[in-house]
Order: sequence, then C-alpha cells, then structure tokens
Amino acid sequence: MPENTSTDLALEVRELSRTFGARKALSGVTFDVPKGAFLSIFGPNGAGKTTMLKILSTLGNPSSGTAKVLGYNVVDDSVELREHIGFISHNPLLYPDLTAEENLEFFAEIYCLENPKERIRELLTAVELDHRRLDLVSAFSRGMLQRLSIARALLHSPEIIFLDEPYSGLDPHAMDILDSLIAQVREQHTFVMVSHDLQKGLELCSHALILAKGKVVLFEERDNIDEAEFSALYRQTVGMGVS
Amino acid sequence: MEATARKTFLGIPVDAWMYGLLFVGTVLTTIDFVLAFFVAPLVIGAGAGGTAVINGVAVSNQLLFSQKIFYFHVPVAISSFLVFFFTAYYGVRFLMTKDKKYDTKARIATEVTLLFVVLTLVTGDIWTRFEWGAWWVWEPRLTTYFIMTLLVIAYFVLRNSIEDEERRATYGAVFGIIAFLDAPISFAITRLIPSSVHPVVLRTGGGLTGVQLASFLMGMFGMLMIAWVVFQFRQREEFARERLDAAKAALEG
Amino acid sequence: MSSWRQFAAILRKDIVMELRTKEMLTSMGLYAFLVLLIYYLAVSQANGGFNVGYIAAGLLWLAIVFTSLLGLNRSLVHEKDQGCLDALLLSPIDRPVIFFGKAVGNLLFLLIVEVLVVPMFYFLFLLKTGLVGPVWMLALALLVGSIGIAGMGTMLATMSVNTKGKDFILAVLFVPIMFPLLYAVVAASTAVVMGDAVFFGEWAKQYWQSLGLAAGYDSIMLLAAYGLYEFIIGA
Repeated sequence: MPENTSTDLALEVRELSRTFGARKALSGVTFDVPKGAFLSIFGPNGAGKTTMLKILSTLGNPSSGTAKVLGYNVVDDSVELREHIGFISHNPLLYPDLTAEENLEFFAEIYCLENPKERIRELLTAVELDHRRLDLVSAFSRGMLQRLSIARALLHSPEIIFLDEPYSGLDPHAMDILDSLIAQVREQHTFVMVSHDLQKGLELCSHALILAKGKVVLFEERDNIDEAEFSALYRQTVGMGVS
Repeated sequence: MEATARKTFLGIPVDAWMYGLLFVGTVLTTIDFVLAFFVAPLVIGAGAGGTAVINGVAVSNQLLFSQKIFYFHVPVAISSFLVFFFTAYYGVRFLMTKDKKYDTKARIATEVTLLFVVLTLVTGDIWTRFEWGAWWVWEPRLTTYFIMTLLVIAYFVLRNSIEDEERRATYGAVFGIIAFLDAPISFAITRLIPSSVHPVVLRTGGGLTGVQLASFLMGMFGMLMIAWVVFQFRQREEFARERLDAAKAALEG
Repeated sequence: MSSWRQFAAILRKDIVMELRTKEMLTSMGLYAFLVLLIYYLAVSQANGGFNVGYIAAGLLWLAIVFTSLLGLNRSLVHEKDQGCLDALLLSPIDRPVIFFGKAVGNLLFLLIVEVLVVPMFYFLFLLKTGLVGPVWMLALALLVGSIGIAGMGTMLATMSVNTKGKDFILAVLFVPIMFPLLYAVVAASTAVVMGDAVFFGEWAKQYWQSLGLAAGYDSIMLLAAYGLYEFIIGA
C-alpha cells in the first residue's frame, strides 16, 4: 500500500540530490509547499530546474534524499502518484497523425477513465476546441496545440499540475487563453511551474524558488518577496551562468 | 588532492602484487606454449614421422601440429568468454545501483574482452590454416567468436553515439547483458544445427593426457591472470582520470 | 489500472496511425520489392543448372531483416517526435506494457508485409522448383522468426532512436544479436523448401529441431528484453 499520510503538503522535498559521477545536477535541495499553492521555479540554464521537475513528476529518480508529492514518495509510490499528476510542456505531447478527439481518447484509455466520452467532450468544450475535434493535430496552430495539450493534461483530473516553460513560443492571444484556463482551475489544484519569464512567474506564484548549480538560492512565499530585491537577485543568479 | 596511501595486501604493496601476477601469468602462458610444442605428446596413436588414423581418416603428422594451437586458442577463447561475463555482471550492478564506477568497470572489462576475442580469432585462423588448409572456416566456435567480436564492437559503437553520460552507461549495461546472453546461444545453435556447407568435425581435445591437460590448464590460469592485471591497471588509470576531471570541475565551479 | 486496456490503446493507436498515413507499410513493402529485384541481379548470371532453392530461404529472411530495420526505426521515431513518449511515461502505465504494445504492433506490420512479399518471392524465384514441405510449415517458421525480430528489434530500436547514429546503430546492434535466431529459421525454412536434397533423408526432423531452437531463442531473449525494458525506456 502506498504510504499516503494525510497531509497538507503538496511537495515535501528533503536533501534531494542527483549526481552521476562527478556531475552534480542537484544537491541538498529542501523545501515544503502546501496544497493549493503555485510554485514558480527560476534559475539559469543548467541550474537543475528541469531535473527537479522531472524527479517531482516521476520522470527520473534522485540519487539521494527524498521527495513526496501529495504524500506519495516519488520513487516508491510512483505508479499511484502518476494518476494525480498533469504535465504541460512547451512540447505539445500530442500525436500529429491523430485527430484531437483520438488523441484524448488514447490518453483516456491509458489513464483507464470511467466515462471517457463525457470527459473528453467536457474538456474540448472548455478549451474551445470542440468544433475542431475531428481535425488532425498536425493542422493545428501553436496556440491550438497548447490548448489541446492542456485538455490532455487535465483529462484525468490531476491534483497537481507541472508546467515546463508553458509560455515559450506562444503569441499573446494564446498566452491569454492559457492564463484564463489556469485561472479557471486554480482552485483546488497545486501548480509547479518552471519558467524563464520572471514577470509571469512572479505574477502567478504563491511561492518562489531560485535554483543555481543544483542548489537552492532562495525559497520564499510570494507575500514576503519584494519585487525589486527579487529581480536583482534573479539577475545576479542568472548572470552566474551555466554550472 | 591528498596523496592516497600506498595500499598493501599481506604486507606487500599492491603494485608489487600486480607486477608479480603479470610476470607469473606470462610465465604460465609461455610454459603452456612451450610444453605444447615440444613436450606434450601428439594425439594418441600418432608416431613422430608417420601418419595416424583418426576417425577412420588418415591424417598426416603435419596436420597434427595444428592441434598445438589448441593449447593457446581454446584457453584464450574460454578466457574471453569469462571476461565477457564481467561485462554483463558489472552491467547488472550498474543498473541496480546507478553508480558510475560500475559502468567504468563494465567498459574496461569489455575492452579486455575485445583484446582476447581478437586473439581467439587470430589463433583460430592459424588453426584452420593448418587443419583445413583454408584461412577461414565457418565452424561453430569461430563463427560464435566472430559474432562476439561484432557484439563487443557494437557495444563501443553504441556508447560512442550517446552524449548523455548516464544514458550511455544505462544503454551500455543493457546491451552488455543482452550481448552476453546472445553468445552462448549462438554457440549452441550453430553447434546443434549443422551447416550443410561445412560439416563440423568435432575435435575438442577429448582424450588429453596428464601433461596435455596440465599445460592446457596452466595456459588458462596464466591468461586469466594477465586479463585481471590488465583490468586492474586500466581501472586505476580510468579512476584517476575521473578524479582529475572531478577536481577540474570543482575548481571551475 | 487495467494493463490490458492500456496495451490495447497503444496497439490501436499504432494501427490507426498506420492506416491513416500508410507510411510504414508502403515504405516497408516497396523496400522489400526492391530487394527482390536486387536478388534477381544477384542470380541472373548463375548458370542454368543453378538451383536457387538452396539459398532461397536465406534470401527471403535477408529481405525480411532489411525491411524490419526500416520499419522498426520509424515505429519508435513516432513516439520520440513531439515528446509523446514522455506523456506515456508520466501516466500510470507499467513500462513493459509499452514494450508489448509497440512490439505487437511491429509484429503485425511485419507479418502484413510478409504476406505480400513471400508469395511474390515464390512467384519470382521458386515457381519452377516449388516447395518440398507444406506451406503451413513455412508460415510457422516465418511466424516464430518474426516474433523474435519484432520483439528484440523493438527493444534495440528503443535504444537506437536515442542515439546519434539511429538507423546505423540499429543495424549494428541488430545483426549480431539476431544471428542465432536467423540461423535457426533459415535452417527450418530451407528444410521446407529443399527437403531431403539438403537434409539427407530427415528434413522434417531437422525442421522441428531448428524451429524448437528458434522458439528457445525467442523465449530467452524476449524474457530478457521484457526485464530490461524499463531501464532503457526511462533513460
């Protein structure tokens, strides 16, 4: 049985490290994030942001330390945990040669949903793609791909949603749609976002984390952050360059 | 970087053990050779200057000398397979622990395997020249070792085509395990299904006398010792290089 | 979580995609026919007494190998494109289920291509001499061999698609690993084509023995692939 001690914490990270040989991608990362929060992760390239996101979303394993997401251990309880995770990336994660509906049907089967047809209809309407559901994804614009990708991510009603540079490559209109969709599901969901967009990240977040060279530079609640100081620190950190 | 203390084993420095073993290993292999050529009697029944009847076929004395190559060819063949086992073993350890040092060990073991496998093919080639008069025969053992050569080369080609270190180690480990499973299966299948082109004449040294067996075993132990020493030297070299790389990275960090 | 449902979803997806684009089948099928033409080149100057039957089984399996190498790569590239594989890995699916889904899909496509190519091969090269054994025996040999090719091929292609060399790497890994299986099925197939001309009075026994060994290869190697797959799919 997976150990899911009833908890208020969405993320519980303790001394998380990821090394291979001499290369340290993450070392000694520790922080807690409560449920319903929105965590923005900032940092220069090579800081370990993607690695951190991968470990938290069970795509990779840590070398040492522990991480619990929604009370589930990311290594030991990964299969159960995956039922509650949604992932939105700069890649659409969709099959171009299938229609929008077929894509969602496929993932509905993979997640073994109970009433797939209903749920799919519901989501397609929510992302305003119902009229295009029979069209091949290869014909979709970037904005449409992102919307469908959100539908895919929310299909199984996950409790926590990971976002990996979701705004990159989007035009302002598509960005607005993404914003409004996130706002719609903001309640009762926890978000973890990696982004290079300092302004957007700060705007949306309730907690902020800056990583550099695999270590935590800053972890703070949004209310305690002074924007100017934060900007300065951020620029200084990013200026440190690749680890 | 602090100097590592000179390690000792039973009071004698490890280095000395290494060189000692290398020397002993070489000596044993040489003795094996010498005995094979000058002392070990020819296949039972053959007189020095005449012919012998084996399996109902008259075989001239010259061809029987080809059997001498067995004393080198078969030990090195068996040794290469034993070393290949370590490729798979360290691969398994790596997959279990994700510790880079096992990947390094697996790679070095495969390098040593490559060396031995090539020696197997070369001596096998010499053997077929004497035995069949042809420079190559697709008989089961040689075919299997030909495949093993390709498998080992494939291992290195695979590693070289991957940039990410951890993926390179993981794929290497998995392929190493599969390749190690494939080798004996190849041997079994080529033995059990005769190739209609080249009928297999099985002469695996059945009926070895005491001296023959002794020189055979000595050769094997000698070779395994050499293999082990080469492995240790390479390993030390690799680990030193890795520590150097780590120190460099830490300085830049 | 129902593994069967997930397996069926993957299989269905691959079939739907293939029916829509026909990409894999057409390229594999066309490639196989080109190979047959090249075979004619190879035997065109052999003298009149030459009986192609001696090497027919070998030629046929060779064509299947080349065609597979082409098809296997494409099948895995679909997943890597657009990062779809990550989406699968994020879902509560057991990794081996992905392996079975892809492998069975590849097997299906390979068998479809064989259904087209084998009769063509017979028509072009074996009409004169015919088969000694019954067709079902040849079909069985094709099935056992194809299972091994699809299974191990899927595993190796999962690795090769993540390398710099891609197609080349797949070939380099594939041929030595598949050698024992190919050797066994060529023997079994030759027994059916040539019968006693090659196997001196006991071609049926040789057929079953070779087929048994091929099945043994399939069992051992596919078990190993099943056990190791989760290590390479996550890497």
